Order: sequence, then structure tokens, then C-alpha cells
Amino acid sequence: MSLLQEVWQAVKAIGTGMATVHKRVYEEAPTEFYPYVKPDLPPVSVQSLALVENEDGSERCIVCLQCERACPAQVITIERHRNPEGKGFLIDRFDIDLVNCMYCAACVEACPVSSIVTIQDFEMSTYDLQTLKADVDFLHEQARRARQWYSPKFGVEVRTEDGRIEKAPPEMQPGGLAEILKPAEEVDS
Amino acid sequence: MSTMSLEPVPGRSDEMIVNMGPQHPATHGVLRVVLGLEGERITRAVPHIGYLHRNHEKIEEARTYPMVIPYTDRMDYVSGTQNELPFVLAVEDMLGIEVPDRAKKIRTMFFELYRLASHLVWMGTAMLDLGAISPFLYTFWDREIILGIVEKTAGARMLPNYYTFGGVRRDVHPDFFKDVADFLDHMERRMVDYEHLVLESPVVHARTIGVGVLSKERAVARGVSGPVLRASGVAYDVRKAFPYDAYPDVEFEIPTSPDGDTYARFWVRFQEMYQSIRILRQLVELTPKTGPYKGKAPARIKPPAGERYRAVENSRGELGVLVVSDGTDKPYRVKHRGAAFSNLQIVPDLFEGAKFSDAIAILASLDPVFGEIDR
Ligand code: SF4
Ligand code: SF4
Repeated sequence: MSLLQEVWQAVKAIGTGMATVHKRVYEEAPTEFYPYVKPDLPPVSVQSLALVENEDGSERCIVCLQCERACPAQVITIERHRNPEGKGFLIDRFDIDLVNCMYCAACVEACPVSSIVTIQDFEMSTYDLQTLKADVDFLHEQARRARQWYSPKFGVEVRTEDGRIEKAPPEMQPGGLAEILKPAEEVDS
Repeated sequence: MSTMSLEPVPGRSDEMIVNMGPQHPATHGVLRVVLGLEGERITRAVPHIGYLHRNHEKIEEARTYPMVIPYTDRMDYVSGTQNELPFVLAVEDMLGIEVPDRAKKIRTMFFELYRLASHLVWMGTAMLDLGAISPFLYTFWDREIILGIVEKTAGARMLPNYYTFGGVRRDVHPDFFKDVADFLDHMERRMVDYEHLVLESPVVHARTIGVGVLSKERAVARGVSGPVLRASGVAYDVRKAFPYDAYPDVEFEIPTSPDGDTYARFWVRFQEMYQSIRILRQLVELTPKTGPYKGKAPARIKPPAGERYRAVENSRGELGVLVVSDGTDKPYRVKHRGAAFSNLQIVPDLFEGAKFSDAIAILASLDPVFGEIDR
């Protein structure tokens, strides 16, 4: 290749590069302005876990230990005792080590009553990892702050202005109507 | 020779021994290569791996079958669901689980979306290694769209834990097919730019053509697979050789190149991206918009005693898994055959005799991911 040809090649390459870059200048930038603008996450996005209470403040969790058994990272620790008046069990201890949790949502899938759910609150950075060893109060608090949450059994649920818990409309559901109409599966405990 | 360093050869005082990595930015993670340098020429190269070892295979022996799936995700973290598939297929085979046709197609769509995402990351980082910065920004911009589509359905971006025995975990988002079709239109326009910036650039030609030539015989002998093998002229692709999921239903070609040099490996990956777009276009048309997404799977996954090997063609090559079951609900042994791991075996072959700066280009063309190599 002669020198002239090489120079021409180089000029052409720079020209093509510049033209491509120039084209992008007028496109909408994909940059996000976090923390000034919060990202709009899809409702199924797994960012953290929470333990939902019923509207009247009673426990939704029936302490069946399904989530503890399903957890691949084995970070859920539950202790329970029999309810002295009535049926079922009461929580003694419900800890999730959110540091070692890998946010796979296997626990959420296993829960028969959609008590443990995924939420979109991802702002959990901390200087002290011990603060992320969540206990039952921490998980309840996460749920009280959340405006919406997701679990495969109930789909997306929202907390209304006056504190009621409602199933979100079909357009907010991830799998559309299929997600809502799906019959609840049999629970084996 | 000690395993951790190179001993000087007596009488070769002009050879310098240099450590490349493990914190070298061009090693795509934590590869350490001990190089013997004679001026700018590499005389010897010894790669060291294991800096990212997390004991996956042993952990998986202590977990029940459904629990293993999220762990496999964490091997090749650039190509998400592709890692889950061999394990899921192997267990499905052992148990004889039927997968509905629609679930197969959805799985294949995610598989190809992640192939595009992975090749985009490769393109960005490979060009970064060659000194070009803007392709990196553009490819990550496009990859962001793919991850957004995945997140809408699967709930996570890079480690989605989406496949399950018998299908996928949840139905796709109602917008999924429209999103994918829009993205493919966008991607086709982008590919023109990428051709200009990467394949047609004289700088890339000068850095890659004739560099790091891997002969067909050597490639087969070392057991490399995927784009690296196909760039050496061997048309082996698990998707064609042992079809799985919805690949028998779609038309696509296996691009091969006879050259075996670094440019050929770049070129083959580019053509694969076109083929991925083609497969996805067909699947957007073929997949029913509604229908079953999960077949009947037993509540307790307990495969009968025996073993099963299944392989898939992931972005880097043949990713296989050998599952040995002893009849309990935990696998007796899970052995992963990593594509990037096998492809890394040719590093000493290709590095010897190359210039130091070419070594960076050669390594970039192998596209190693250390999560999978070190496991
Ligand atoms: S998200 Fe996964 S790792 Fe985390 S607590 Fe639930 S099951 Fe365990
Ligand atoms: S699976 Fe649900 S109901 Fe059972 S213990 Fe866990 S959170 Fe409670």
C-alpha cells in the first residue's frame, strides 16, 4: 500500500468514526440522574425482601418454614412456638441475613401465603454490614414503607392511601391476566 | 519449574520475566499470566487462574436441585440465564419432564437475548483493550436495553434465576414481544455503526489481521469451542449438532472463517450477532402470545440414580454439565464444563512469539469471563 493510500485510509477511518459519534450526539442520552430522579423499576424487580402484615396489623406469616427450606444461600433463620390459644404457630425469631442473600426470590416463590415479598427499595447501602442482618421488625418496617410489592402467588399488591392492601390492576401485573387468574397451588408442608 | 513463576533459563540473560495481572485492566477480571519477554516478543507464557474461586461445584452438592439453579447463574455473570439451561435440561432428562412448546421458545428467546448482551460486552471491552473508548459506551447503552427487557419479566438483570424444571418461572411481561421487536429494529441500525467502528476500522485491521493465528488442528486438540473454534474453520455448534429447546424450529447459519486469527474471531462474533437477531425475529413471530409457560414438574425433585451430561452453546462455546444423582434430593456431583475455561487453554500457544501489545488483543478475542473460569 502506498503512503498516499494509507493516509487516505486513516482520514476515512477518522471521518467514519466522527460521523458515528456525531449521529449519537442528537440521540436521547440513556444517562439516569439518580439520586435526583429515582429510577422507574418494574414491579417484579427483586431489590429487597419484606415481611407483609395484614391490614389490621396481624401477622400474615403462618411460620410454615417453607422459605427457610427453599433458600439456596441458607440465610433465613426462623424459630417458632405453638400458639397457646388457637391454631398455628407464632414467630419467635425471623432473621434474614440480607448481606449474604443473593436475591434469587426462591423464598418468595415458596411462601404459601405471600407473606415474604420482593420490594423495589434498593437503597440499603451502609457503613456497617451488621445493620443488614434483618430481624422481623426490620422486615415489617420494609413492608410498611413499600407502596407496592410482588409475590408469584398474589401478583403485585399495592398499599392504597388509606392503608388498605389491594391487588394491583391487570396492567400492572407482570404476566398480565395469567398471573391473577392462576389458581393457587396446593401447599405441601 | 515452580508453578507460581518462571525460572530464568541459564545463559539467557536477555529474557525478562514479567507478571501480567491479576489486577491488569486488560485481563477482563483476574487472570495472571507470567510472561518471559525478550524485548517486545513473548518467549514463554504461563497463565494462573483461581483468584475468583468460589467453590461452586462443592456448594452445589450440598443443595437440593431447585437450589442449584441460582448458583449456576453466578458462573458466567455476563450471560445470565444461559448458565442455567444445561443443568435444567439434564435434570429434566433424568426425570422425563415435558416442557411445553411455548416455554421452550421463551427460553430460547432469553438465551439469544443474553447472547447479544454478552457479545456487546465483549465488543465494548475488546475495543477498550485496543484503545477505542466510544464503542464501549455505545455497546453498554444497547446492553442496558436488553437487561431492561429481562428485568421486566424475570425481576433481575444479570442473575435472573428465570429457568426452572419444566419451563420458566413466570409468564413473560405483556410487552415482552413488542419490546424485543423494537429492540431488534434498534439493534439492526446499531449494527451498521458497529461495523463501521469495529470491523471496517483500519486500526482494528492493523492490530488483528494475522495476529495470534490458531490452526484448525491445534484448536481441536486443545478442545476449544464456540466462536474461537469456528474462527479456525470448524463448523461445530451445539445448537446444530445436538439441538435443544426451540433451535430445531428456527433457521440460522453457523458462520465460520478459515483464517483463525484475531480478526476472524472478531468477525465470527459479529456474524453471530446477526444470526441472533435473525433467530429472535423468527421467535417473535413463532411464539404464541399466551399459553402455558411451565410444564408439570414434581413438587420434590428427586431424579433416579444415574448420570446425565447436557451441553448448550452459550456465548463462549460449549457449556456442559454432568449431573450425577444418587436418588436423593441433592445431586451427588455437579461437574461444569466451562467454555471460557477450555478456551483459555490456548493462551500459552497463542502468546508465544507474539508481541506484548498483541497479547492484549489476543486475550480480548478469547472473551474470557472469570466467574466461569474460576467457578
Ligand atoms: S432471596 Fe434467595 S437467598 Fe435471599 S433469602 Fe430469599 S431464598 Fe434466600
Ligand atoms: S414461607 Fe411465608 S408463611 Fe412460611 S414461614 Fe416463610 S414467610 Fe412465613
